Amino acid sequence: MSLTLSRRAFLATAAAALVVPFTVRGTAKVASQPTTLNAYLRIDADGAVTIISPVSEMGQGTHTAHAAIIADELGVDISRVRVTVPQQPAPEYRLFFGQMRSVGSFGVRKWIEPLRKSAAQARTVLTQAAATRWGEDAATLTVDDGAVLDPASGRRAAFAELVADAALLPLPEEPALRPAATRRYVGKAVPRIDTAAKIDGSAVYGIDVRLPDMLHGAVRLAPVFGAEVDSIDAASAPGAIAVAEVPGGAVVIAESWWKAKRLADGLAITWKPTPHDQVSSDDISRRLRAGLDADSAPAAVTRGDAAARLGAAARVVEADYEVPFLTHVSMEPITCAAQVSDSRCEVWMSTQGHDVVREALEAVTGLPAERIFINTTYLGGGFGRKTHGEIAQQAVLASRAVGGRPVKVVWSREDDVRQGQYRPAMAARLRAALDADGRLTAMHARLSGPMMGREYAHVTIRDNMDFFSHDVLRTQKYVASDFLLDHHEVPVPPSLCPWRAVSASQNGFFLEAFIDEVAHAARQDPLAFRKALLADHPSHVAVLESVERRSNWGTPLPGPNWGRGVAIVESYGSRCAQVAEVEMVDDRPVVRRVVLALDCGEAVNPGQVETQMVGSVIDALGPALRCQVTLRDGRAEQSNFDDYPILRIDEVPQIDVEIVDTGAPIGGVGEPGLPPTAPAVANAIFAATGRRRRQTPLGQA
Amino acid sequence: MATDFTVNGRAVSSGADADTPLLWVLRDELGLMGTKYGCGIAQCGACTVLADGAPVPSCSIPVSSVAGQRIQTIEGLSPDRGHPVQRAWAEIDVPQCGYCQSGQIMTAAALLAARPDPSDADIDAAMRGVLCRCGTYPRIRAAIRRAAELARAG
Repeated sequence: MSLTLSRRAFLATAAAALVVPFTVRGTAKVASQPTTLNAYLRIDADGAVTIISPVSEMGQGTHTAHAAIIADELGVDISRVRVTVPQQPAPEYRLFFGQMRSVGSFGVRKWIEPLRKSAAQARTVLTQAAATRWGEDAATLTVDDGAVLDPASGRRAAFAELVADAALLPLPEEPALRPAATRRYVGKAVPRIDTAAKIDGSAVYGIDVRLPDMLHGAVRLAPVFGAEVDSIDAASAPGAIAVAEVPGGAVVIAESWWKAKRLADGLAITWKPTPHDQVSSDDISRRLRAGLDADSAPAAVTRGDAAARLGAAARVVEADYEVPFLTHVSMEPITCAAQVSDSRCEVWMSTQGHDVVREALEAVTGLPAERIFINTTYLGGGFGRKTHGEIAQQAVLASRAVGGRPVKVVWSREDDVRQGQYRPAMAARLRAALDADGRLTAMHARLSGPMMGREYAHVTIRDNMDFFSHDVLRTQKYVASDFLLDHHEVPVPPSLCPWRAVSASQNGFFLEAFIDEVAHAARQDPLAFRKALLADHPSHVAVLESVERRSNWGTPLPGPNWGRGVAIVESYGSRCAQVAEVEMVDDRPVVRRVVLALDCGEAVNPGQVETQMVGSVIDALGPALRCQVTLRDGRAEQSNFDDYPILRIDEVPQIDVEIVDTGAPIGGVGEPGLPPTAPAVANAIFAATGRRRRQTPLGQA
Repeated sequence: MATDFTVNGRAVSSGADADTPLLWVLRDELGLMGTKYGCGIAQCGACTVLADGAPVPSCSIPVSSVAGQRIQTIEGLSPDRGHPVQRAWAEIDVPQCGYCQSGQIMTAAALLAARPDPSDADIDAAMRGVLCRCGTYPRIRAAIRRAAELARAG
């Protein structure tokens, strides 16, 4: 039995190793070899179609969507389509900012056109190859279920028979697409292509990789954020095969992970002091609040003169909000297997940050990019956390410490929770001007906290605008004129990392909780208030009307301790509105129902759009109600699921999803469902109690 | 001293230290990678296997404690994904990232073996120990109800 599994795992990695996206077209003349047609498509000897996808599969269903797009345009049954991820990033796989990453809810919206075009190119040359072989005009031929068909004669040639000839033909720049009416998969709730492997235990995640002669590594990393190693006594790990120093700590290497873990726990290691050895969450909170009180801060968005309007307003509404650090806790912990020599570096990992990993590996090995190979497994969740490269560097340093043998390094859950890479703690002060008729005329949003773009992405911040910190507020549509967004920068000790929906997660909370307060100050229904302010934006109005109707907004709830709250957030090119129904039980909010509407434009797989919406709400409810990372003595106080308690099955409310299509351009799906949940719950708590809670988690008064 | 038990019907003799958690014997010694590590402290249920038919967190029980027991992992649930729980899981298309699903499926299989017609409260009580970070919980509930129907139909 172990032999069977061992072979399965090995074959999975061996298959990945066959993917060479840069195979020169036309070199694969033998039908027994896979033939690469363009950057995204290959046809294997058995006729199977392999997509070389720029996106990792971490549960979001992108590989199934890509398979649907290709199957429809190429003309094959989806069961004949496989998906793999290239071993080396290349321009064809990169996003607009020059990186191959599975981020930003771009998985389908960015790649639908390139993938469809690549399939149309492939179909065109396969058809031409058949036309040449038969002496027919290509225009008279059609494709059907993985073959080119001559309807007049009934002749038929499978793609596998044609692909060697097709690979010699020039690819058309602008291939004709098949009519939408021929599509069997796109737009339908197609079952996921990875379900079978995920219900019998055969799906290979990064943690499951097994290589010949492989050793195991466990880490011991600095408990204080960013502390550097002072001393390591390798003799304190007797029985370890090696102890490799890595930035901030050590990897202990042994024959099994459990043994390595025990030895790492007992390793005698010390760290140098840091300036924040005593810092607590209270200290950080004080610094954030001081930033709110600062007389001025660099402006990110200035329209009109918000200060003058606020000074002359009939009434000013003002409120402060704060959110804590959050961590990702993907179910699969952080892990990477590596094998390195003087001339080659290969890693096997569940990554969503291919160019980040490539850069990290170039830095640690000194090797050029063409000598670095990244084999991508399934991800047991990502949520932004698996964009980082530190684990790949650790695995390489570990492999090097044992003479180039492969080593798989696996972090424990405690390592994962305590090692930073958090959604930043932030505070906001929002101020709104109301005129004598209760109309919203101006708004000032002050953020206080880290500039995540600078810290995470090392991007140049121009005009104080940080796309990693200012989403939603930057693009808010409630106040067309007289709007100021400024940001007082407060560096924080933990390293930061995009968390699902990135800054939309906190800015959506700030803005939507605040607009609710403004609506009440103006003595208007909060849903009607939003609709009126967003009347020029039909997609916004459509999702609001969907949740208004389906939540029976305005009708009585079961009891006096119940409340409904609404929120709408546009992020990642999609609009999502939610109404939360909350019952207060002993002053504790219990979410009973969430009604959600999403407009993401074309829904390529409505079934998976629905699961992303349901999953986003459940994901959001943990931090909305109770999850947070707090600091004490420069280190995280939480360590595992017992003190970072994400939702369990018995706490899940009824969640009703409607996908609304207003003809808007295709938008993202993986993230837009998350930001409205926390503010909708906060607003429902107010509706139930008459008291505002302006800080997450909202579970405590 | 070796610990003898059976895994998916086959006799196994593990030479691992007696206090090694069963999970790491299954994964690193026997190569059964379908059972997952998630927390190491019996909080998430990703490592759930059946010991003499009862669900246990393999990350938190030493291998020595299963001497003489029958251990069943996801690989031994059926040879062909034909167990009613797996059939229902496929029909409802439950998994997203999939990492927790071996634990979910083994826990659900034990629930249905003990209670062929579980109530919603039974489902919540049995399944609350298995975390899913993707939020597949509503589909898990639906799939367990469907699996109960499939099991009754044979």
